[in-house]
Amino acid sequence: MKSRTPIRPDSELAAEFWQKGRSDRCPIYDMHGHMGEWYGIYFPRMEPADMVRSMDAAGVKRLCFSHHASLLAPELGNKPAVEAVRAFPDRFRAYLAVNPHYPDIARAEMAQFDSMRDIYTGLKFLPDYHGVKLSDPRYKFALDFADERGLIVLTHTWGGSQQDGPEQVRIIAQRHPRVRFLLGHSFAYDWDSAVAVVREHPNTYLELTGILGMRGVVDLFCEKVGSDRVLFGTDLPWFDQQQAVGSLLSSSITEDDIHNICHRNAEKLLDL
Amino acid sequence: MRFFDCNCFIGLPAVGMLKPAPGAADLLAAMDRSGIEQALVWHVVQRDYAVPTGNRLLTEAIAGHRDRLTGCWSIMAPQTGEIPPPDELFGKMAEANVRALRAFPDRNRYLLRPEACGTLLDGIVERRIPLILAAQGAGQWQTAYDLLANYPRLVCVVSDMHVWGTDRWFRPLVETYEHVYVELSEYILDGGVEAFVQSYGAGRLLFGTGFPKWDHGGVMLMLRHAEIAEEDRQAVAAGNLERILKEARL
Repeated sequence: MKSRTPIRPDSELAAEFWQKGRSDRCPIYDMHGHMGEWYGIYFPRMEPADMVRSMDAAGVKRLCFSHHASLLAPELGNKPAVEAVRAFPDRFRAYLAVNPHYPDIARAEMAQFDSMRDIYTGLKFLPDYHGVKLSDPRYKFALDFADERGLIVLTHTWGGSQQDGPEQVRIIAQRHPRVRFLLGHSFAYDWDSAVAVVREHPNTYLELTGILGMRGVVDLFCEKVGSDRVLFGTDLPWFDQQQAVGSLLSSSITEDDIHNICHRNAEKLLDL
Repeated sequence: MRFFDCNCFIGLPAVGMLKPAPGAADLLAAMDRSGIEQALVWHVVQRDYAVPTGNRLLTEAIAGHRDRLTGCWSIMAPQTGEIPPPDELFGKMAEANVRALRAFPDRNRYLLRPEACGTLLDGIVERRIPLILAAQGAGQWQTAYDLLANYPRLVCVVSDMHVWGTDRWFRPLVETYEHVYVELSEYILDGGVEAFVQSYGAGRLLFGTGFPKWDHGGVMLMLRHAEIAEEDRQAVAAGNLERILKEARL
């Protein structure tokens, strides 16, 4: 076989990633990350310094993340995330994770949000794991808070979910037009709904964590909604960021689309 | 860097897929674009419709492509006579350039146990034919554990493991049984390859993509830049699979 750039022949971008593992021309903003322990997974690289090393290798400039503790250990809350951002202020921004079962804890942390805009970039919801629907009154205070400020809210979504499926997102996107909803996992496996919801609601974005590499998905999204509504995400430390980039390169989307997904869309959302 | 994909399939799945690879030509075209030299390929009809028909379709599909495509058939418990008896099966495998086997015991409703598959599994073990087992969820891992407890010398590739947290499942098998291998298509944990190689060396990892469910490029780029020695990288990318397929006595 003739020697040429693997994955995407005749692509200088692919050649750069193949040779160096990163691209100087195509930095990456990973809009969906995590940190720390998780009950179901062994992570070799879950601490901030190790994660920064992985990010360096893949050319990821910034990771917007929610600490696992903030999602599942209410007594620890968002404190570990704040500490991580303070340790690496140029590399991390945190989502303030909201657990709807503990509104007092969430309200107390949100009371500090405005004075901590160097730490927090938005809110994070995990409805499927917390067992609370997005449209439930227990999320209202947080959604109102986000809407008043025009914040980013990254929410876990999944196809067929009663808590965070398409119908739930439609309700809250309609109610809170100033919130910019990042749809984590893009209603995995319900691609038609992902396309429909984003077309219907200009304040929603498709986010690719956990589905990058599924053949045809990112192609479908770019074709049907446009790459300017699609965001790069990896759940780091769950998934390898170079695996995610390789998946984008393997698709049939254009290099312009890749730039949109990897950095341009995030730069606009984050006002960079 | 040479790549030999241990995990890909052709055919139209019963449940729709955005971009299937209907035939060998589709697979080879994708391999050419990606830069993958060879592939161990099965036919999705083996899983979705019927093992005997799927094996036949696979044989026909790869017939003209022996230089790049090695076949993988599926087995079932032999009592019903739907697959040939072991010696005949192994002879036919050799003729068809099939050098590995898969099993879907849950779907085909049998148990991979000595009572059900003893003569067949004895032959597979003796001939060092790799058996590829998808391990998705606790039930299928239990199947793998039970199988290896009964057949500790089995060359077994755990595959399609789901992307969420499988180390606590596969590491005990890798540590206990010297011929267990892990394929990479859904093992995309950050630092996972490095951690595996540090613990067990590179000889038990196999490059696999899960194509066409998954694109080629993700695992390729991940492996390309894994922080491991170059010789280890090439072993994972192709050398390990070449070795175990060559060791199969057919």
